[in-house]
Amino acid sequence: MSKVRAVRNLRLCSKDCLCLYVCPTGATDTETGQIDFSKCIGCGACANACPSKAISMVPYDYPIQQSKDETVIKSLNSIIRSKVEQEKIAYNIYCKSDDKIVKQFTKALMKANRLMAEDLYREAGYMLPQSKNTKEFLENLLKINDSNIPKDEIKKLLELLKFNEI
Amino acid sequence: MKKYVCPICGYIYDEEKEGIPFDELPDNWVCPLCGASKNVFEVEKTEEDTVKVEEVKNFESEDLREMTNAEISALCSSLGRGCEKQYLEKEAEDFYKLASYYESKNQKNENNDFKDLIFKINEDLETNYKNARKIASDKNDRGALRVITWGEKVTMILKSLLSQYDKDKEFTKNTKVYVCDICGFIYVGDNKPEICPVCKVPSFKMLEIERGA
Repeated sequence: MSKVRAVRNLRLCSKDCLCLYVCPTGATDTETGQIDFSKCIGCGACANACPSKAISMVPYDYPIQQSKDETVIKSLNSIIRSKVEQEKIAYNIYCKSDDKIVKQFTKALMKANRLMAEDLYREAGYMLPQSKNTKEFLENLLKINDSNIPKDEIKKLLELLKFNEI
Repeated sequence: MKKYVCPICGYIYDEEKEGIPFDELPDNWVCPLCGASKNVFEVEKTEEDTVKVEEVKNFESEDLREMTNAEISALCSSLGRGCEKQYLEKEAEDFYKLASYYESKNQKNENNDFKDLIFKINEDLETNYKNARKIASDKNDRGALRVITWGEKVTMILKSLLSQYDKDKEFTKNTKVYVCDICGFIYVGDNKPEICPVCKVPSFKMLEIERGA
């Protein structure tokens, strides 16, 4: 069985605090409301005791990205390109207008298009941040000839993320 | 007597129950559930109709290996959300930083108007989604079919909202605008629905877009 750790969904937490009584290491008792990962041993006692189902156990290691057919990816990429272009069109209209109503409407359109593009990427091979695809994507960003890219962030991500398929 | 179905949320307008023929409803009538305009409604299909497989033009998707800055930004924000779901806060923050960097490299002040949006939306609905749906069904990719179904419905509501805007530039003036933070569905109305009409997430995930001061 792979190792897991407890996380608390703060929106669901009804502060019954049974997790505090059952946790053998005190990991659930923190000032931030989140569980102290460094203390959590993954026993699941808190999740079982929680009456509001606010605690769940998440794995440290995720299964590898399911393989996706190339033609499916290509067809989704065409839609992604269209959505990011629409986000930009809405942004351009937003910038040029002084009308509050237009600004509000185009803001909603920008957001809708961004969300659709993000969702499409999840199905186009980038479901999991720890996947080989994500790793290659980040490595390729470092190769782009651009002196201003946030190299530190990219390198930090390559270090922090536990890639599951090398 | 016919039944008319909203292709976005599935609401059925039954002429027999309502007592008013669909055609006689005013032009500004909208779907009571999701706010879609009258002209997107379709006559309820009989079984015979649904058996017909939709013809798809032989359409070759372009190979888009070279990602644009806008695409890099969208992928980074998508991965940021992925990290957030796993409670990986530092990683999420770094992905969001990358997303805004590539977003800042993308934005150019070109002159655009709403017609440019409608053009792209029609292209998506007429070609891109149909093509993707055909391929995803052939390959039995349920995940891709899921994102295609949600995205196509959201695109339809955008088209409907743009046509409402075209008729009345102030159609959002005396009401509110919400965007579903999961699928991107836009709801224009005073009270958001209990669940998102497209992805069915509870309404607390539908966020209000404020009108600036």
